[in-house]
Amino acid sequence: MTAAVDDDLWSAIGDPTRRRMLDLLLVEGAGTATTLSRRLPAVAKHLGVLDRAGLVNATPAGREKRYQVDDAQLARAVAQLASVGSAWDARLRRIKRIAEAIERTQKN
Amino acid sequence: MEFGTIERELFIEASPEVVYEVVSSPDHVKQWWPDDARYEPVPRSAGEIAFGDGDAGRKVVAFTVVEARPPRTFSFRWTHPADQPAAVGNSLLVTFELSPSGDGTLLKFTETGFREMGWEAAVLEEQYREHTAGWDYFLPRLAPYATKLAARP
Repeated sequence: MTAAVDDDLWSAIGDPTRRRMLDLLLVEGAGTATTLSRRLPAVAKHLGVLDRAGLVNATPAGREKRYQVDDAQLARAVAQLASVGSAWDARLRRIKRIAEAIERTQKN
Repeated sequence: MEFGTIERELFIEASPEVVYEVVSSPDHVKQWWPDDARYEPVPRSAGEIAFGDGDAGRKVVAFTVVEARPPRTFSFRWTHPADQPAAVGNSLLVTFELSPSGDGTLLKFTETGFREMGWEAAVLEEQYREHTAGWDYFLPRLAPYATKLAARP
């Protein structure tokens, strides 16, 4: 995957309305622009962004399209940020150890 | 989980003054993160941190102090292009907030900017993680460090 596609994925998932949209699609299994527009604003625009980032797949459903979350792509996005978080977890553990070692030294 | 922001809280059995030194002074920062750190721990000081030894594997990353208010707040921006001043949109912002709590300090950590920076920043972080996160790499460094501190008068 190219960096440009990765940027699309990141900004797609960075928007709160689009995350809510992904949540709704995950809970309900699938949705169309009509069903989503009862709950969210600017549905066509956000669906377009999610579609381009590969986070949803569209299948024809009558005059509309039926959207489902692409599980693999969503997992990939979540895993990427989780790995950044775990890197900081390790650094924070080291900060704690070092600070506590200094504190003990100063008290003695 | 808020995508694009990392938030953590942890309790440290040390005074805010000690924790502040550990999160802000380049000499301490080198013990828990990069292999090298060059900056002054004062606001707007622009410097760099570096990962890896030797010219081939060495990676230098821009680092600019934003806030330095001992013993409460230390924040910095990093990953901005070396020839540009750090700003919203071109860097990640890391903030340590310290508050006294019982016999120790409550440390609140946030890193923001991933949404503005895009995906590449997260990929960059993952590369560092492979180099820096392992205890295999850090434990041998930590033990002599703690001994050295304990040996001080």
